[in-house]
Amino acid sequence: MKKLLSFNLSLIMLLLSVSALAQSITGVVSSEDGPLPGATVQIKGTNTGTSTDFDGNFSISADDGDVLVFSFVGFTTQEITVSGQDQITVSLAADNELEEVVVTGYGTQNEKEITSAVVQVTAEEFNKGPINQASQLLQGKVAGLSIYNKGGNPNSTSVIRLRGLSTVGANVSPLVVVDGVVGASLDNVDPNDIESINVLKDGSAAAIYGSRGSSGVIIVTTKGGESGELSLSYNGQLSSSSILNRIDIMDREEFINAGGSDLGADTDWTEAVTRNAISQIHNIAASGGFNNTTFRISANIREKEGIVINTGFEQFNTRANISTRALKDKLKVDFNASFTQRQSSFGNDLVLKYATLFNPTAPVYTTGSPFFPGNSGDVIGGYFETFGLFDSFNPVSIAEQHEQTGEKMELNYNLSMSYDITDNLDIQFRAARQTSKNNNRNYIPGTALLGGNALSPTRRGLADFDDNRFEFSLYEIFATYNLNSNGFNMNITGGYSYQEDNFRQRSFGLGDFPDNSMDFSYNIDASQDLNNAGFITANSYRGPNNKIIAFFGRANVVIDDAIYVNASVRQEGSTKLGEGNKWGTFPAFGIGADLNKYFGTDFDQLKIRVGYGETGSLPGPTGLSQIVYNFAYDSGGSGNTSQARAANPDLKWESKAETNLGIDFSSGKFNGALDLYTRDINDFILETRVDVATYGFDRRFENSGKINTQGLELNLGYEVSDNYQTNINLSTYKTTLEEYVLENGDITANLGSPGQNATDMVLIRPGEAIGQIWAPRFESVNADGSPQFADINGDGTLTTSQDKWNDEDADFEAAGNGIPTLEMGWSNNLSFGNWSVNAFFRAAFGHSLVNTFRAFYEPRLASQSSYNFVNTSLAEPNLTVAQFSSLYVEKADFFKLDNLTVAYNFDMNEDSFIQSAQLSANVQNAFVFTNYTGIDPEPALVDGGNIVASGPVSGGNVLAPGIDRRTNYFTARTITLGLNINF
Amino acid sequence: MKNFKKSIYGLVSIFAIVIACTDLEEELVSDFTEGTTIPGVTIDIAATDGSSQAVQDQIGAAFEKLRGGTAGHNNYWSVQSVSSDEMQVGQKGGDWYDGGIWLDMHRHEYTAASEPLTNTWNTAYNSISEVNLTLAKTGLSANEIAQLKVLRAFLYWRLMDLFGNVKVVTAVGQDAPQSSRVEMFNFIESEILSALGITAVSASTDLTNSDLNTSSKKYRINQYAAMGLLSRIYLNAEVYTGTARYQEAADAASWVIDNGPYELTTKSNSVVKNLAKVANPGDNTNPMLINDELVGYPAMFAPNNQDNVELIWTVPFDGTNGSGMNFHMMGLHQPSQFTFNFDSQPWNGYQTLTAFYNAYENGDVRKQSNFLVGQQYSYAGLPLNDWAADDFDASGQKSLGLSYTPEINQLAPDSERQSGARMYKFSHAQFERNEKSNDFPIIRLSEMYMNRAEGLARAAGDWSLAIPDTNVIRKRAEVGEYTSIDADEFLAERGREFYQESLRRIDLIRFGKYGEAWQFKSASPDYKKLMPIPTDAITASNGTLTQNSGY
Repeated sequence: MKKLLSFNLSLIMLLLSVSALAQSITGVVSSEDGPLPGATVQIKGTNTGTSTDFDGNFSISADDGDVLVFSFVGFTTQEITVSGQDQITVSLAADNELEEVVVTGYGTQNEKEITSAVVQVTAEEFNKGPINQASQLLQGKVAGLSIYNKGGNPNSTSVIRLRGLSTVGANVSPLVVVDGVVGASLDNVDPNDIESINVLKDGSAAAIYGSRGSSGVIIVTTKGGESGELSLSYNGQLSSSSILNRIDIMDREEFINAGGSDLGADTDWTEAVTRNAISQIHNIAASGGFNNTTFRISANIREKEGIVINTGFEQFNTRANISTRALKDKLKVDFNASFTQRQSSFGNDLVLKYATLFNPTAPVYTTGSPFFPGNSGDVIGGYFETFGLFDSFNPVSIAEQHEQTGEKMELNYNLSMSYDITDNLDIQFRAARQTSKNNNRNYIPGTALLGGNALSPTRRGLADFDDNRFEFSLYEIFATYNLNSNGFNMNITGGYSYQEDNFRQRSFGLGDFPDNSMDFSYNIDASQDLNNAGFITANSYRGPNNKIIAFFGRANVVIDDAIYVNASVRQEGSTKLGEGNKWGTFPAFGIGADLNKYFGTDFDQLKIRVGYGETGSLPGPTGLSQIVYNFAYDSGGSGNTSQARAANPDLKWESKAETNLGIDFSSGKFNGALDLYTRDINDFILETRVDVATYGFDRRFENSGKINTQGLELNLGYEVSDNYQTNINLSTYKTTLEEYVLENGDITANLGSPGQNATDMVLIRPGEAIGQIWAPRFESVNADGSPQFADINGDGTLTTSQDKWNDEDADFEAAGNGIPTLEMGWSNNLSFGNWSVNAFFRAAFGHSLVNTFRAFYEPRLASQSSYNFVNTSLAEPNLTVAQFSSLYVEKADFFKLDNLTVAYNFDMNEDSFIQSAQLSANVQNAFVFTNYTGIDPEPALVDGGNIVASGPVSGGNVLAPGIDRRTNYFTARTITLGLNINF
Repeated sequence: MKNFKKSIYGLVSIFAIVIACTDLEEELVSDFTEGTTIPGVTIDIAATDGSSQAVQDQIGAAFEKLRGGTAGHNNYWSVQSVSSDEMQVGQKGGDWYDGGIWLDMHRHEYTAASEPLTNTWNTAYNSISEVNLTLAKTGLSANEIAQLKVLRAFLYWRLMDLFGNVKVVTAVGQDAPQSSRVEMFNFIESEILSALGITAVSASTDLTNSDLNTSSKKYRINQYAAMGLLSRIYLNAEVYTGTARYQEAADAASWVIDNGPYELTTKSNSVVKNLAKVANPGDNTNPMLINDELVGYPAMFAPNNQDNVELIWTVPFDGTNGSGMNFHMMGLHQPSQFTFNFDSQPWNGYQTLTAFYNAYENGDVRKQSNFLVGQQYSYAGLPLNDWAADDFDASGQKSLGLSYTPEINQLAPDSERQSGARMYKFSHAQFERNEKSNDFPIIRLSEMYMNRAEGLARAAGDWSLAIPDTNVIRKRAEVGEYTSIDADEFLAERGREFYQESLRRIDLIRFGKYGEAWQFKSASPDYKKLMPIPTDAITASNGTLTQNSGY
């Protein structure tokens, strides 16, 4: 090794010491197809270099003995030593064996050397059309990566799962790494700026990220600049969205025939609260490079309207990526910064619910108020309202009057420096910081019946404010040593990582505004609540500084250019865990072999790989190992603190151990990858039941059990012809709750108000699959209109009351499972001449959904004839009692043409200042095949809880998949015209 | 080369700094991580100012926990009320089915998975834990320790009364074996007696050795509160242990009546501003809604009842700082929002059973005070309509005003939305939000009269001995005095007096009536007198709790 080192050093010295007479050399760089513009010509070992012009010409000053290096992406690099020539013509050969370099944790690896399940998705493969969030680029593209944005609310973020449930705690979504910054926010990356995304699926790949890698890792690389002339590009999209699917409810006539009360009008409430939404996206990017510096700067503007009136957002985003080299190329400095400002109009989720259940014979507006004599409609803004009916409000009044807005600002910057100490050893330092600020405002004017107290003689109108701020800092330093000799290549990385985040929040609310003449959230000194302090609400919070500190190391070894070994270990500590349990160790090991090399098969490529890795997961809340007290007013007397939560000083790391077996193969026009995995999540952290007599609280965060997931992922590509490529990916998995602290299990996900509280729907039982929807089996309707349930256990008695779900003789069964058994993504790329067509189909099978709209509003309840009835093909018209059962659990298999793009590439004259131009048309949600009667058959992987007029009751329950709540947004079909021009 | 060196030094020093930083102490900046008492903090809400009852001590947090479940939905109060013949929560079409928990509670078909029972259990132990935590403080006075022990005994009494056999845990973080009901009774009795500084209650009890004081502050426990509690427990001792203690029940009650500074409310000693008064009465004739003042019996339960002369020990509720009382939301139909200008829609749940309402004779001040019946009017005096009902006249116009009827058509599935008299004892205030401000009595003087009456009658086996004290209460209610009385009539009178005060279930059991059939409930087996220990508690106890027999 020493020899090698000194050899390298002396070579460098030799090159540096060469200094002879400079001479000017000109020439042309070309390929088989003609001149190569933008190819790099550089004097080896120096910073001196140039690039070819549009016709492949270059000119450079070099000395005799200098070695000129000619390179271009996708071509084999050539070196030519200068010895007196003044003209050099080079023809670069296309590099057919171009080795894909894949970004993995803390470095890159050649694709063939990878021993774990890593999938790279490049910009060409991304989903097309108006993409609001970077995660949507990947939807359906990676086997095992589930991305669902149910309903497609432009302001809601997608639920992302890699290989199903990886933890029941906080970090259910994969860790995002943007340009090396661990834990970065995807919200601050405009989809247009992304070059590629790598997904580290299994534990052996993710283990280098330790505690935050349990749910997989998504590595995003943004576009950088390239040396050469300044190039400009413009991307523009204009789209129109309309409602794709609505809930089947009764129209005026059906409603009256079903015994509904006739209020004389005929209103389509869904129509009244939705619209054709127009959106536009503009992206301008400039990139280039001079001397040793390259850069890319972009600006993105998005104006997105939601199909529900008064929803949408406007977003402005800029990003600058700058890269420079110094100290004879030994020092590389990368700086990138991005800034995002988004103004959202969230709308009120209740609009969708009320649009479905409001009486279809009611008018939208009214001049008088027949049900509340003495008040003209003006008091309530001129809207019609059904006073006194529980949980029923005019949705148009809410959509038009409630102002629920948010302003979000995200800023992050990332400085990375690497220094080549020797040719084999480099050291890298990174500092990154990310700040997110949210300013949310909620104004309900005094003419809004819901929330605005419109009928009260005083205290009308309400303004709420909520400001929060999240800060994240990252400091990392690591070194990589490379050793290469005689078919043995070893790469060692070791480093240190320091992460710190902090959350703080302030909120307040007050009301009682003079009238409705202005938006008083901008003039709160008019609030009469200021004279009556008990009515003002205020709160503030600052979280602790959550720190994660880690030491990590990794070795990649390549033997014989055919056997690949990767091993890594990360030692990591967190402030969130109990004293003595703060530190965890996360090892990983992987081995891969090129079988072709040893057993000449018929395959072009046949690689087998096995990986094992352990990762961890942290709880979401802070302070769980410490007792926390609330401040409590003891009326009239003193202030006191009372215990707020039971602490768990023994809380330890949740750990995940995953084994992955994979095969990569290609043969002729086929290529594919198959991955099999099994993983155990041990000591998962969950707030669970404990003995209240001992702890004073019936729930505490505990290391509560063990979950096993086994799955299979298959990716197949086939080149049907030069003009048609197709690729399909399939994934399936099964998650079992193997151990649970509560041996008898538990049940979760309350159906809720009105009338169906204490109705939990999803079973949590050790030894069984996660996500089972637990319900009595509906058989028929009795003469009195009540449901007849099945005697499932055949004991002759019916035990179907919800509070008997766990009785020995309970007649309950799994009516479905909320998690799909098979998910599929299928891409098709066709091209002919200047035209290209991209059709992407997506499907999920085997999952069920509880259609809660039906559960509440489909039974023909006699006393509630003033609500509209849901009336799907599954309706039981004689059923007059609302009680949860299998009747409302529906199979939600679907197959959809998710994304269809047709593009035309214009032929450009060679001397045109426009290099390329493309016009495209895109349809999202082109068609959907499903038997599901609700709005959207996409799986609901997490339960957001029931929502009532006073706000959501619970939220974020990952153990309760399969509940289609009444607040999900209406799905839209979007048609987009796009223009892309490069200068 | 110089630059090279510099950068290496730079990198190395950065490295050294970060390596040094491996401190993982978690500092919670926004939370109290130690229990504290902050003296001198007072609250000042004009309507319900409790400052006259202010106490500067270190045990407030423990008392504050009493708000949990005492006067809210889906907890102790709901269990006590819905399992008795006072009220039901009928299924109103698509509303209030709630998995059948309220129908089961009413029909005595409750199971161990019943949510209100689970909540009751958890709230009681959470409160006990806070008491234990407070007891662990240093520097408590003997009086504070005595109060905490009686408070804990009271909380265990609730558990013993409902569930029978539970764990008695007396220190934070400890476990204890499941005690029998008799063992629990003995523990509770001895804790209270020891706080009173006596070994037994007799007609000539002397409390000079008691650590409890005679301060009249109603949010704390004094000698009268402890003695009152003892009276209640002795009255039910036969149910709990099989051994009758009626004479001691009467003696304890008598001691409170004779020695305490309390008086039964009268029209002269109990007058408060009527906070529910509407702007315009219109056709509304309900004095509870149109009078300027509440006088006598209704004033005792009003939102501004904090200083009432009859109340011995109360739980302070407050719309801003003392949440937990939600009777207006629980009981009223949605349009009643506009009578009181509530912030949000009431839930239309609890309905008084017909027979219970009808047991009051007309002219009983408690009948007018305790219920809302008949046509309801808005704040502006206009009749309110029940928009949700399906009653329309021939022309298709809604014809039915909102009128609460004492009659109830059924319990489920279509209990009429306006049916059942609505509770109004803890009367409302205009502009109330979801939380009410009425203080809830745990012990009040009236119960002492009724306990003495019953204790004397049962001890001697002669109900006529109950007549004098019972008549004191009837006189205050402005109804005719008894000349003769039997057990059934006495029970009915207790019902009329203590409606909505969580005593009915206990009384029914003591009088052997709990298993009888009543409106929408058929006869229930004897084992239902004890509630099942919640499944969740049994599960979490890892086998240290055994279910009550029958379940």
